[in-house]
Amino acid sequence: MRNVVLLTIDTLRRDMLGCYGGGSLTPFIDSIQNRSVRFDQAHSTGPYTRAAFTGILTSSYYLEYGRQRELSPSRVLISEVLKRSGIVTAGFHSNPHLSDYLGWNRGWDVFYDSMEEEVDPKVPYIKAKRINRKIDAWLSFNAGSGVYKPFFLWVHYMDIHEPYIPEKKYIDLADGSIRLGEEEMFELFQNVLLPRDVSNQRNIEILKKLYSAHVREMDESVKDFFGILEKWNVLKDSWIILTADHGDEFGEHGGLSHDGKMYSELVHVPLILHEPTRENGEVCSTLVSTLDIAPTILYLLGLNPPKAFQGDSLLPLENYPLKGVFGEALDKHGSNEKGEEKEIHYYREGDFKIVYRERDDAWELYDLKADPKEKNNIIDTSPTAEDLKQKVRPRVKRYQGSCS
Amino acid sequence: MTMEREISEKRKRQCAKLVEISKAIVKQSFEKFRHEELGITWTGGKDSGLCFWIIRQVCQERGIPIPKTMIIGEGDEFKEIEQFVEGISKEWNVPLEVCRNEDVLKAANFRLNAPVKVKDLSERNQAELKRIGFDDEEFPFEAESYAGNHLMKTVVFNEFLERNKILGIFQGLRWDEHPARFNDDYFEYKEAALFVPAHTRIRPILHFTEKDLWDTYAAFKIPYCTLYEKGYRSLGAKTTSQISVEGVPAWLQDLENTEERAGRRQDKEKAMERMRKLGYM
Repeated sequence: MRNVVLLTIDTLRRDMLGCYGGGSLTPFIDSIQNRSVRFDQAHSTGPYTRAAFTGILTSSYYLEYGRQRELSPSRVLISEVLKRSGIVTAGFHSNPHLSDYLGWNRGWDVFYDSMEEEVDPKVPYIKAKRINRKIDAWLSFNAGSGVYKPFFLWVHYMDIHEPYIPEKKYIDLADGSIRLGEEEMFELFQNVLLPRDVSNQRNIEILKKLYSAHVREMDESVKDFFGILEKWNVLKDSWIILTADHGDEFGEHGGLSHDGKMYSELVHVPLILHEPTRENGEVCSTLVSTLDIAPTILYLLGLNPPKAFQGDSLLPLENYPLKGVFGEALDKHGSNEKGEEKEIHYYREGDFKIVYRERDDAWELYDLKADPKEKNNIIDTSPTAEDLKQKVRPRVKRYQGSCS
Repeated sequence: MTMEREISEKRKRQCAKLVEISKAIVKQSFEKFRHEELGITWTGGKDSGLCFWIIRQVCQERGIPIPKTMIIGEGDEFKEIEQFVEGISKEWNVPLEVCRNEDVLKAANFRLNAPVKVKDLSERNQAELKRIGFDDEEFPFEAESYAGNHLMKTVVFNEFLERNKILGIFQGLRWDEHPARFNDDYFEYKEAALFVPAHTRIRPILHFTEKDLWDTYAAFKIPYCTLYEKGYRSLGAKTTSQISVEGVPAWLQDLENTEERAGRRQDKEKAMERMRKLGYM
């Protein structure tokens, strides 16, 4: 039996990857495409970590069980299903929203969330290089003897997430023209990114270049990670799923970072299924959701999904249903404003994406083929509008319980 | 110490029902395993204390001795807990084993927060650190840290099982004490792995809420450690446990609307701080 590795990269925009038509920032990830299935139309269930990871690790939607910050006991983590089936489960990450104290440690044999580590005062997470060292140590114990039980390993890198303070060598690799010291980069974070100040286009461009440098660095960490799997002789026996929880905005829709919005730069994510022994690459253009990742992991390990999982296995590709994809979030995420959070939903079907904002009871509809940048709201003129609204309406405020 | 608190007859009956559910789990365990194959984990705290009292009830009904019991000496204990454990052990004739990771204690020179160099540890402890992906050269001696928790608790627990050939081990865990417990089962079989013998974890009091627990203590006059009277709600290592409300006994605190483990959540504070820094809060 094989292992499954889920490598999730926080805040990685799909269009930054070379294999998705980006530049040359990701030579390693691009190089594995000849042994991978690349999903061209993968969508996240939400635009920020909590809204996205309920989809990835529990195959359920963010607002399905109320608005609690803790992981609801009604959700089933992929780790819980696997551990009960005798698969060794290990998770290594550094995102506080997925930490032990919020209940994300259910079902893991080893769960490292880094919360007790001292971190750089400016950068509140552990970097991928450090996470990789931990995985190296873990594999030395679990696979070092050559005989081991099949495992599910979840690895999450935070390095791309703001504040963007990349090392100089990666800035040079991404764009040598930027000459900023660490303090200046941090000032940009504090004075431009945090207040979501999009008034100066030059600042936005610099932020995006710094972000690109992090993408370049991330690609190197992914390469190192594959090297570690190879070193312990487990790469050839592992499926590797690479994805992002959400993207990041650089002024495309009047904002920065990743707030409660549902545009492509945030919810259209990379999704790559890599099989080292595969002989050819494949691109799948079917519309899929990150909700499908957990069922796919179970399929790869020959297990049935629990009832709580709402996605479909991506494999076999020919059996995957033709469907639309949903996402949902709360709109004040990333904002300092007080007051009640309101829901925001999207639904994508074919080339159309409809967005609903509870706050203004407002709808937006985009034809992504004609308008990939989502600038032209055709809600009042499109004949499909009413039909798509009907798909979203039953999902709005469907959880009427307390917001505990 | 036992509680002098009036509990209504109706509530007593409710508590008795909860105890019966637990006793049924304990009885099933005695059917499933031989007496010498069973073990109990005890900490001196309220959860393992209730679990322990219920197991003892079943033992008394059956006229059998209490199974082998372990308590972990993590090198950072409250003296009140030590005194409580010592008193109950004598009174109830508990076959108690105090289990410690001596290798780590020695490497730390028995001093809290002293740096422990990984290379000074036994091969087994070094391998155990790799098991959890620990890759640093040293760590401070602290029982509830990532490395400390594994070496001082998990490893010691597995060694106890191995040494005594325990196949079923009672644990006083509750569903509502921590989100990570929400989906725990009364019986959970653990397959054997390197350094981990195959065993079944038995959790008879999963269904007790914190309020149920304290009402049961009052209803049945179950002994507890005095620290709970001073305002502690959840007890772990001495330096990482804080009083929740000064001078207010645990059972008189707002159990419904405040967090049980608030006094022990250093990781929570770190997580909150990190979220703030990520600009989310």
